[in-house]
Amino acid sequence: MGSVFLGKYWNEILAVAGRILTELLRRRRSLISWTIFPVSVLVLNGLIVAEKTKLAIGDAFETAAPASLIGAALFFSCLGGSVATVVSEREQRTLKRLFLSPLSGTSYFLGIFVAHTWIGIGQTLIVYLVAALVGAQFNGNFGLGALIIFLSIASYVGVGFILGTQFARRTEDVNALVAAFGVPLLILGGVFLPASLFPDSLLRWAEYNPVYHMNEALTGVWAAGKSFSEIARHFWFLVGFAALTVLGGWLSYRRMLVSERRL
Amino acid sequence: MLRIEKLNKRYGDRLVLQDLNFSIAEGEVYGLLGPNGAGKTTTINIICDLLRADSGTIYIEGKSVCQATKKLIGIAPQENLLYQSLTCRENLEFFARIYGLSKSERVEQVNHCLEAVNLVERANSPVETLSGGMQRRLSVAIALVHQPKLVILDEPTTGLDIEARYELWELIRQLKSQGITTLLTTHLLEEAERLCQRIGILKEGKLLAEGTLTELQQLIPAQEIVMVQTADEAGAIARAQQQGFIPRYYGRDLAFWIPEHLELKDMIERFDGITLSSISRQPIRLEHIYVEVTGSQSDFLKC
Repeated sequence: MGSVFLGKYWNEILAVAGRILTELLRRRRSLISWTIFPVSVLVLNGLIVAEKTKLAIGDAFETAAPASLIGAALFFSCLGGSVATVVSEREQRTLKRLFLSPLSGTSYFLGIFVAHTWIGIGQTLIVYLVAALVGAQFNGNFGLGALIIFLSIASYVGVGFILGTQFARRTEDVNALVAAFGVPLLILGGVFLPASLFPDSLLRWAEYNPVYHMNEALTGVWAAGKSFSEIARHFWFLVGFAALTVLGGWLSYRRMLVSERRL
Repeated sequence: MLRIEKLNKRYGDRLVLQDLNFSIAEGEVYGLLGPNGAGKTTTINIICDLLRADSGTIYIEGKSVCQATKKLIGIAPQENLLYQSLTCRENLEFFARIYGLSKSERVEQVNHCLEAVNLVERANSPVETLSGGMQRRLSVAIALVHQPKLVILDEPTTGLDIEARYELWELIRQLKSQGITTLLTTHLLEEAERLCQRIGILKEGKLLAEGTLTELQQLIPAQEIVMVQTADEAGAIARAQQQGFIPRYYGRDLAFWIPEHLELKDMIERFDGITLSSISRQPIRLEHIYVEVTGSQSDFLKC
């Protein structure tokens, strides 16, 4: 009985994730953008770091890779992508078609999460492949880094759900919303400019910025080879934030269901 | 198959369903007619568990409506709610999977549904490249993919050209011949007349009339209807009333209910002295019953 129940959810999650990925592959544009942007940010960041710190190019790319992945890759694909998915379902009104089916809200939410996790994995491979090509190496605990990426994706998808269900009504709203919320957070998160260059007053603000903690945690583990205890503060902030946003995303989705459940 | 008992629904101050009762037998095609705002879509929303009724019950195969009864229902909504960049096959496979079909069932059912709606040749075309009629057929195929017990077609031919409409009517006839229970809502009375075994007429949330076409025809106390075109409508009405004919307007067209069968020659004689530009006889059709039951024509008579 339990396995049938779980099987139903698993099947639905894979169906939703498969459908989102097929649509993205068919349209290509988003996938191409989500590849070009992080790679170009990585190359620029890597070259700037190499020039300014006189590090070897491989070491500079090692430092630049986590920030490029967290900020330029996952942020736009997982957060922007989730917002776009929800908004496009509302615009095409396919969300209503889904309400007519036995698809559960949990499966829908997790389906979007799984689809963006796959995209995130793809982006991680591309960013680190490019970094590896110029001599960068993996440091630190691979599993811990992967967990940080997983929590970052969960956080972004959660925020994406909140924005997509509560604030973005049309496709045009997506870019404005993601840029308005995202760009200041990315800058304050040390994605485009290392947080070590921030003045103290800005650093105090950065402490409240989840992107800063994602970035510091991943950079600490995969670039500097730090142990869990050294990044624990960032990690636990991220765990709390991910839990909050997933819960917030879920509640926002439930709220949207009430308003959208009309033919 | 479907039983609706004392269904009530209110939106704010507006009562949209008032003690609605009707049932559909297994294998029956039931037409639910009514003007916009009559409560047809609200009824469907409640059947599909999208909305909660304020009171009353709906049973599908004896089960009270809940998330689980969604699997028993296949619905083609008013609009084609399809994933535009996916192909017909991908759309069908996605929904088949959502409804819990196994891989082998999915392959079989998707192929079967594509054949049923005559979309085999366009199976791998993205939906955005299909005509409106094809998209509507795909929408019906999605409703059928999990082999539901009850199919709901909400205004399936609205906005379609005549050819696409005929194709869809043929498809509904196939469902009928396969014994699939169907609830059809439509504004096209001809559609209901051609396809439905029983018809319910809904207005302001109340079921005003229900029955087979023959049963509904009994609501009009006439043998036939005569349409008359004349410049002297007032004179024609006065003369007709003297003859025991009952005047009615269908749109701007003047007609009379004739209590007995008369030859056209006799009919013309009854209007002797009135210049008629045309006169024609019609059987009692659903249009006449609908107009009478919903009271849509009384205002014209007042004019």
